[in-house]
Amino acid sequence: MKVDIQSLGAFNRLTHEGAEQATASMCRMTGLDAVVDVTKISLVDRADVGEQLAGGEFVGVGFDFEGELAGETALVFDRESSETIAEALVPGSAADEAMARSSVEEIGNIMMSGFIDGWADFLGATIEHSPPEYVEGSGRDVLPAPSGEAATVEGPDAFEGIEHGDAAGSGEGASAAGGSLDQVFVFRSEIEWVGESVHFYIYMLPEYGPLADVMSNQASAADGAIPVDKLGVFNEMTSDGTQRAADNVEMMTGIETEAEVTQLSFAPIEDVPKQVGTDIYVGTVVEFTGVPSGYLMVLFDEVSAVHIAEAMMPVEMDSDELTDQHKHAIEELGNIVTSGFVDGWANVLQTPVEHTPPRLVHDMGRAIVDPLAAQVGRHQDHAFLIDSEMRTDDIAFGAEIQVLPDEKELRQALDELLVERADRTEADVERVFE
Amino acid sequence: MPDVLIADDSDFMRNLLREILEEDHNIVGEVENGVEAVETYKEEEPDLVMMDIVMPIRDGIEATDEIKTASPDANVIMCTSVGQEKKMKEAVKAGADGYITKPFQKPSVMEAIADVVPS
Repeated sequence: MKVDIQSLGAFNRLTHEGAEQATASMCRMTGLDAVVDVTKISLVDRADVGEQLAGGEFVGVGFDFEGELAGETALVFDRESSETIAEALVPGSAADEAMARSSVEEIGNIMMSGFIDGWADFLGATIEHSPPEYVEGSGRDVLPAPSGEAATVEGPDAFEGIEHGDAAGSGEGASAAGGSLDQVFVFRSEIEWVGESVHFYIYMLPEYGPLADVMSNQASAADGAIPVDKLGVFNEMTSDGTQRAADNVEMMTGIETEAEVTQLSFAPIEDVPKQVGTDIYVGTVVEFTGVPSGYLMVLFDEVSAVHIAEAMMPVEMDSDELTDQHKHAIEELGNIVTSGFVDGWANVLQTPVEHTPPRLVHDMGRAIVDPLAAQVGRHQDHAFLIDSEMRTDDIAFGAEIQVLPDEKELRQALDELLVERADRTEADVERVFE
Repeated sequence: MPDVLIADDSDFMRNLLREILEEDHNIVGEVENGVEAVETYKEEEPDLVMMDIVMPIRDGIEATDEIKTASPDANVIMCTSVGQEKKMKEAVKAGADGYITKPFQKPSVMEAIADVVPS
């Protein structure tokens, strides 16, 4: 299967418009004011679907749908906002559990019918959906397990064991077994309740087979179509890069560090800064050149930045504030993490990828990303985003790695990517220096 | 004690290398870019240069090339976060005698130095 950028763009727009239509329905019914904040299409490890919901309690509705496109979709609210919505629909219902549940089912039904109908209209086909099923749960458990076969087809030896259609409804453990590739497409819209720090989410988890057919039909035979197996392999290379980054952090700080979610997403340029949010971050930005070129950010929240820098210092600083020494340590860490990331691509693609020295940034997430997105946006309307996270249990520390590559060059890199070389991310120094 | 020149644009990394090396080595200079590295090499003629690759103004590979062209007996260890095979080959071509990838710990640094500058 191949996807081209235009059809990914069209799918993203359609998902966004469907979410807007669903949100408008809710606003009309409740009088609440909400807007669709971000819509993106991600290729993600099956076990990581819904990772963004971690830590929250959610209720909502889920549907199966089938026809030209098949799969599962869900609309989920955090539990507290669902009570407000129920109250807005039927005053007094929030205290009545059965009524509150019925309200969520009904509003979910109306919102999601519009969402699915939009897809059917776009495809000029009928898509049937099941009655809404009330769902509740913690974090990603509230979402249906994505069913159907995985997105990738062939890989090098290290990635053998790729799942093929045997994971229906039981995908959670599939990718963990033997480190095999098991990635699925996720269409996700995040809806913001205006004036409140509350978000709710629409997830669509299409089955691979019907989605592949739709994408193939939409993709022109034209240039620039990307084989999806290469996208999947590239995603796995990025996962390796994140693991290398986590290993480097662990070596420099002595703090056991895990690579967490890695996903390759596709979103309109104007939505890119929204991915990072409005929290204050400390980190580094580098520009890399080669194929592909782009920007790479290593971002820590302020508390994590102090903790991680302290751990790197040979002497204890014991400061809650970021000092110049902390900043120098963060700069160097950013440099090493960046190299760990792009070197893997360079070694697999057998081409040098240069990067500038790291530039220290300390600002609101969106303010950091805005000028970079504007720069990339001079040549493209949509962007691929590579988003990785590292976490540790030892101290409060988390980091995000965001990569914003040039779309055409990424496409060229993927075109030149030899899948059988995809596990050769590390160079052998001793052999080179023999 | 062997004289060592440290070339790295990171203040943090220069400090770290100094701490690792100063017990057994004489640090004759710490510089932040390739141009300063070449100039200081000419002035001090150290026994060893610990050279970063990604530096502003002139990178470590160009600086190594210039130093080795002028002084073929110079000892240069690339001390870098760059782990790309093509870059390593460029470093070999420029005349680098050794290569350590960051992050490193004292034993790997000392081992690389022992290979290049036998005591």
